[in-house]
Amino acid sequence: MARMELNGIAKAYGTVEVMRDIDLVIEDGEFVVLVGPSGCGKSTLLRMIAGLEPITAGDFTIDGERMNEVPPRERDIAMVFQSYALYPHMDVARNMGFSMEIARAPAAERQGRVAAAARTLGLDTLLARLPRALSGGQRQRVAMGRAIVRDPRAFLFDEPLSNLDAALRVEMRLEIARLHRKLGATMVYVTHDQVEAMTLADRIVVLEAGRIRQIGAPLDLYERPANRFVAQFIGSPTMNILPVTAEAGAVRLADGSRIEMPQARPGASHLGIRPEHLEVTDPGEGQIVGTADVVEHLGSDTNIAVSVAGIGALMVRRQGTATLRPGDRIGLGIAPGKAHLFDAEGRALRPAPAD
Amino acid sequence: MESRSVSRQTANDTASGETRARPAGPGGVLWRHLIEPYLYLSPALVLIGLVMAVPLAIGISYSFQSITLLRPLDSGWVGLENYRDLWSDRKFWRAFANTFQWTFGSLAFQFGLGLGLALLLNTAFAGKRLIQALVFLPWAVPAFLSALTWAWLFNPVIGPIPHWLAALGLLDEAENILADPALAMWGPIVANIWFGIPFFAITLLAALQSIPGELYEAAEIDGASPWQSFTKITLPFLAPMIAITVMLRTIWIANFADLIFVMTGGGPADSTQILATYIFTTAFRKLDFGYASAIAVALLALLLVYAAVLMMIRQRLVRT
Ligand SMILES: Nc1ncnc2c1ncn2[C@@H]1O[C@H](COP(=O)(O)OP(=O)(O)O)[C@@H](O)[C@H]1O
Ligand SMILES: [Mg+2]
Repeated sequence: MARMELNGIAKAYGTVEVMRDIDLVIEDGEFVVLVGPSGCGKSTLLRMIAGLEPITAGDFTIDGERMNEVPPRERDIAMVFQSYALYPHMDVARNMGFSMEIARAPAAERQGRVAAAARTLGLDTLLARLPRALSGGQRQRVAMGRAIVRDPRAFLFDEPLSNLDAALRVEMRLEIARLHRKLGATMVYVTHDQVEAMTLADRIVVLEAGRIRQIGAPLDLYERPANRFVAQFIGSPTMNILPVTAEAGAVRLADGSRIEMPQARPGASHLGIRPEHLEVTDPGEGQIVGTADVVEHLGSDTNIAVSVAGIGALMVRRQGTATLRPGDRIGLGIAPGKAHLFDAEGRALRPAPAD
Repeated sequence: MESRSVSRQTANDTASGETRARPAGPGGVLWRHLIEPYLYLSPALVLIGLVMAVPLAIGISYSFQSITLLRPLDSGWVGLENYRDLWSDRKFWRAFANTFQWTFGSLAFQFGLGLGLALLLNTAFAGKRLIQALVFLPWAVPAFLSALTWAWLFNPVIGPIPHWLAALGLLDEAENILADPALAMWGPIVANIWFGIPFFAITLLAALQSIPGELYEAAEIDGASPWQSFTKITLPFLAPMIAITVMLRTIWIANFADLIFVMTGGGPADSTQILATYIFTTAFRKLDFGYASAIAVALLALLLVYAAVLMMIRQRLVRT
């Protein structure tokens, strides 16, 4: 059981401040994903939770107990490292049972727990091997097994899948989701991959340059991004951002087309529209006219890069296949209610009645 | 990229061409597998033979001869006589025992203090660079000079050490321990410890720095105390390096006569005579090269046994 509370956490290396004003509550049993571009401070935050990095300012509590000065070994937390950090001189079984060896648990109990974890992860036949004789995916499993045998009150993951190939990444992602459902333990998971974030998280924390930009459920972030950064970070391909001038109840694009939006008000400076919310129409219909530049056929979807006079490049995503060819003139319609509006500081403008 | 693939192909072609040109059959196989490799190795083999094997063989052959420069007419083959003399030589056995005290007394402290220093230098602290530079210092001093300096330090007339030891109650009065047969060996040993710490500190520090820091973090999260991290991560990682440095150092110390020769000359009353100094005095004071060679062969045999035992221990450590 672990409910973690971060209050005004800040981190500085010497005089360089890399993180500030982090307020976050992680409920017991929750799966929270920290996501953000490389260098935004995800690992630093996770390491402060683990106790591997001292907290410069603020309070960190687990189950109401202040943890700032508590060393890692007394926090009862397991961590899976990006590089796995397996002990190279110990075989798989000893790696997995190391926490119990340290705690001087009876050998029979240790072997039992290691065997159980190995069975769950499909490592039964590898227990006597050294880490260097394992593939990347197997090492990753051993690292998870070590955390499971530890039986902690919370799990921390630092980009655990980033060294695996695409197919294995999908498989391990499901494995981690299954593990969370089975154990029900609190999990904090760091990734720069928004697909991992969207699929695993109960709640996502989006970080940028050491600050939290938004916290919310995956679909919340997708449907109601609080700012331009989150809007562009979540979703693939990236949301299109177009400069606009505000009018009463509508905005005007740079090519002169007018788009009705209830939330339009003075101060609106950019319109955001996801590629999947742009509808391809015949030229002349829709609000925008452009030329298809590149057509990418993904099978299930088609990505179309469209260049629009006066606006520039727009990305459009269509379900299924399209018969379009590069050079075709097409019209684009903005799905009603799907466009987002941002002010000059990048804050989202919402329709008046909602929040 | 393209040029590399081209050159590789050329190499392949030549190789297959050569195989085809060579006569097939058992004679060709014999040539290729038994004779040809040694032909290529022969320059190295000849060189090693000249600089190592020949002097070694000559040295060993001396031990079966009587070569005393003071009695040049008596020289000639004497069989095992030198070894028979050795067996009943009280001075030899005394030096034999002293060699153990000298070697392991020096080694244990050199290693222990060197490891401690390496662990210290592996942490971050102010002034680390300065300390690191100072650690090298004993090596920059010629052994002859450090021996003289230490001899003076142990001399109660000009050196402070006897007075400190007396003040601490370790000595009854401020006397020169180099003149006391019961204590004299500790004089050169102390000098040797000072001289040898840098070797262990530097080699072990290099090994320590190759241990990934994440392993300690993983161990800490697994609940390990600093001591458990040391015994379960640091020591296993250092073990191969420890085995090899301890072995090399033992051999080196056992053969290292300079400090003793300058500080005590083997005395008083042979109490600091080790095999290395005994060989030296036998050969160059008594000019009896045959007998000196016999002692040297005994020392060589001792060190070979020691090295074999240590290699066995090392192999067992590395396997687990
Ligand atoms: N030991 C350190 N000393 C100084 N700056 C550091 C140190 N570790 C990380 N940083 C800085 O802190 C920021 C966050 O790093 P990190 O948490 O590793 O980012 P992420 O995991 O999100 O890629 C980066 O700008 C990085 O340069
Ligand atoms: Mg990171």
